[in-house]
Amino acid sequence: MSRTASAEQAEPTAGTGQPVPAVAASALHKAFGRRVALHDLTLQVGAGEVFGFLGPNGAGKTTAMKILLGLVHPTGGHALVFGRPPTDPAARRRLGYLPEHFRFQEWATGEELLHFHGRLSGLGAAERAERIPEVLERVGLAGRGGERVRRYSKGMTQRLGLALAIMHRPDLVLLDEPTSALDPVGRRDVRELVRELAAGGVTVFLNSHLLTEVEAVCDRVAIVNQGRVIASGPLDDLAGAATQLRLLLDRVDRDLLALVGRYGDVARVEGTAVTLAVETLDVAPDLATVLVGSGYRLYGLVPVQRSLEDVFVDLVGEVRER
Amino acid sequence: MNVLVVARWTVLEARRRKLLLAGVVLSAAFVVLFALGFTLFYHLEERGLVNTQAQVTDPTSMGGMVGAREQLLVLSSALVILGLYGVQFLAALLGLFLGVASVSPEVDSGALHAVLARPLSRLDYLLGRFLALAGMLTAYVVVMSGSLLLTARIVAGYEAGDTTRAVGLMILQVLVLLAVSLLGSIVLPTLANGVVMLALFGLAWLGGIIEFIGTVPPGNDLMVNLGTAVSLLLPADAVWRGASYHVMPPSLLVASSFVDQGGAGLPFASTTPMAPSMLAWALAYPAACIGLAVASFRRRDL
Repeated sequence: MSRTASAEQAEPTAGTGQPVPAVAASALHKAFGRRVALHDLTLQVGAGEVFGFLGPNGAGKTTAMKILLGLVHPTGGHALVFGRPPTDPAARRRLGYLPEHFRFQEWATGEELLHFHGRLSGLGAAERAERIPEVLERVGLAGRGGERVRRYSKGMTQRLGLALAIMHRPDLVLLDEPTSALDPVGRRDVRELVRELAAGGVTVFLNSHLLTEVEAVCDRVAIVNQGRVIASGPLDDLAGAATQLRLLLDRVDRDLLALVGRYGDVARVEGTAVTLAVETLDVAPDLATVLVGSGYRLYGLVPVQRSLEDVFVDLVGEVRER
Repeated sequence: MNVLVVARWTVLEARRRKLLLAGVVLSAAFVVLFALGFTLFYHLEERGLVNTQAQVTDPTSMGGMVGAREQLLVLSSALVILGLYGVQFLAALLGLFLGVASVSPEVDSGALHAVLARPLSRLDYLLGRFLALAGMLTAYVVVMSGSLLLTARIVAGYEAGDTTRAVGLMILQVLVLLAVSLLGSIVLPTLANGVVMLALFGLAWLGGIIEFIGTVPPGNDLMVNLGTAVSLLLPADAVWRGASYHVMPPSLLVASSFVDQGGAGLPFASTTPMAPSMLAWALAYPAACIGLAVASFRRRDL
């Protein structure tokens, strides 16, 4: 697991043979007056990746996303989407966006909003006529497009936001807390939608503080706190980096702790259960043999995968303690 | 292209928010009321004058006849100017309100985030907003002032000095107010902008009155300069005065009791044309406001 995000300078130019990353941010800094929202954010998202941007509330996730959309101007560093600055309207042609607060013009109907956004994204009348019922159906709003947004529930509005984000078949979809207003069924729908987009080769940039959501769909994650990336990497590396073994025994004494200490670090002792942090699960058979040979009765020896939540809480906690 | 998409969207918004309907209904009421009032008042005065003349014993004297015609012209001019003053006042307030509501509420609600994340430049967005609102306001001024002038023409045979210029300047005034309040909508929060714009509008009106008093013989240069300074800050009232000059028939302006009866005419109309330099300033003003608005909006974080 790398503790700092890739520092590679991403200045992709056509013709270098290098695939252009969907998102390349280097040393992004943003201060609102005296409050610094982003300190030094460097990250890259490859085309076709499902990238989870994790962090507690106020970590700078939304600010980073808004910079990638040209809505906020960084006070330092620079950002590129598909190799172009996002302040260039043409660069945004390939982007779809669901804002965190998903507020839309309430006087309009869902369909009118889709037509308006479709026109702005360059969709012709025929394309819109075909695509609008399709996306409404896809997000579960079939037959509701003619109603005013004012009458929509929060969940419906968020679904409409998803429809707006995907209607023009973008190559990169940025979703800011896409399930905040959705019930469990809605959350599952969004997970399916993200998987479907990924299967179609669309890059997804997902802001979330819901770890299970990220775990379920993302290939790679970055954990951001107080405006800095504190960890990033493939999900398996991050969550699986520290492996633990849980031992259930008839008794726990000093000799036992000394014995198991040779195979790893004792993380916790709860009654006659010992949690041992190990480098690799390969030590398990040897450990079992030695324990039984030393006269202990072994009731269980179970590998414990640390969840992303554990990693997240550990890392964010570490930063807070500093 | 995107400018037109935004403009269309803005017109749809005005329709959906019942703004157009309310505007049409209330304007129709205004026009009907004016037509009724004008017709009644004019015929009443006309009959009165005819009766007076019937009592004049010397039928060879044409003096009374000429005097009566002129008096009727003065009366209809005053009524038309009053009516148009009402129209420009309503249009000015409408322009201010529409400008104040043009951008900042959308920013505050967050509805603009998704829109500006599209391949739409902020310049195009602002131009689209401005053009749609300007178009609706222009239509409003043309229809309203046209109806009033037409009524006066049918009822009293009233011919304005230069209808095109008069209406053109009234449109310019509304565009000045729309542009300045749109600029305010970008640099100020909605409520503060509304307060500032109304205060500015009131100030411009007061400046016009002060300038008018300054021109009443024997005249006061300081007051005139003060009025001009206010007009530079917001050339709204000055443009209306320019328009009012073109509303009056030339015959009235040449030999008018308006000018000669010891005063300078109505306090909210002008018997002299607008200074070319002020006209140039008023023409440049909306463009400058929009330019500043675009420059400021481009830098803005949403």
